[in-house]
Amino acid sequence: MPFRKLNNVQMDILKETSNVGMGHAATALSQMIGHPVKLRVPHVTITEISQVPEYLGGAEKMMVGITLQVLGDARGSIMLLFPQESAHRLLCNLIGDQGKVLIMNEITISTLKEVGNILASAYLSALGSMLHKTLIPSVPLLAYDMAGAVVDYVLIDLSKSSDLAMLVETDFVGESPSDLAIKGHFFLIPDPSTLDMFLAAAGGDQ
Amino acid sequence: MSEQVSIAEARIDRAPTVLKAYGLGSCVAVGLYDPETRLGGMGHMLLPNRPSSNPHGSESKYVDAGIRQIIDELLRAGANRETLVAKIAGGANMFETSYQTLINSVGARNAKSARQILGSLDIPIIGEDVGGNRGRTVEFDLATGKMLVYCAHTEKPVSL
Repeated sequence: MPFRKLNNVQMDILKETSNVGMGHAATALSQMIGHPVKLRVPHVTITEISQVPEYLGGAEKMMVGITLQVLGDARGSIMLLFPQESAHRLLCNLIGDQGKVLIMNEITISTLKEVGNILASAYLSALGSMLHKTLIPSVPLLAYDMAGAVVDYVLIDLSKSSDLAMLVETDFVGESPSDLAIKGHFFLIPDPSTLDMFLAAAGGDQ
Repeated sequence: MSEQVSIAEARIDRAPTVLKAYGLGSCVAVGLYDPETRLGGMGHMLLPNRPSSNPHGSESKYVDAGIRQIIDELLRAGANRETLVAKIAGGANMFETSYQTLINSVGARNAKSARQILGSLDIPIIGEDVGGNRGRTVEFDLATGKMLVYCAHTEKPVSL
């Protein structure tokens, strides 16, 4: 289905469902790290697939990406992206001093995957109960690399049926001073058929 | 002068332009070069094969169709079919795991498709840096035909 045809009401529905889901996810994250985490109102962006890396701040920016597939009544992918500094701060908060730079080892990888798992589960359970659908996250996968390389994984899946990507984006912002803030992008990338279902279940026109 | 080749794009140019593709994961970059006319092209492709029925989107999204498109454009611009050579980079598996699905191997299938098409067209592949689980940035210098491949976790580029 062509994403371009979404109207403002439908965009609002997606934003609102996402807001609720992200509320739960932010609460989960706050409890986990022991600091309040705010979330910024999500943007729903429809963009050419080729523009997605630019949208993330450049294809070469180093990012930690955690991806999960959405299984159950709806299909799609979730991609959680943390700039490397934020991933580093998150790890310091969760498992103690990490030294000066982000180092990937069994413990840090496993911790970050678990963060992805908790956020995705909180998000999907809120979204699912709102839509009366069962949404199950798959096992999380992690990559630490250039943004372009991390996201092309989900773009490839999407590009089979579309030239446009819909990104439901949310930023996490810690309440502490800006140098300590944890920022992240959360992308819900529904399959085109799943998007129809979301909109129908949320009461919008298809 | 450098020109960016974004995801699902392919472009041709001539010396001294440098064609660049940033942050390749499972995508594959295929560079084609004619050293005599110093015309060259590069594609940044997502999927291995263009489906024969109901293909979706631009040719340069697909490895097979993208390579054919670059060759057509190069020949039209005056390149010699006989002297064309190819270099390939990318096709990584970024999310390495025991939890395998079809998408996990798309990088490998992209690289395989590139080799097959180039083989069937009799265009020699004179350099490749494919596979693994690292993202790559590729610079294809049309002045020399040299392809530099940078990885995020290593300092020195691989020169093809």
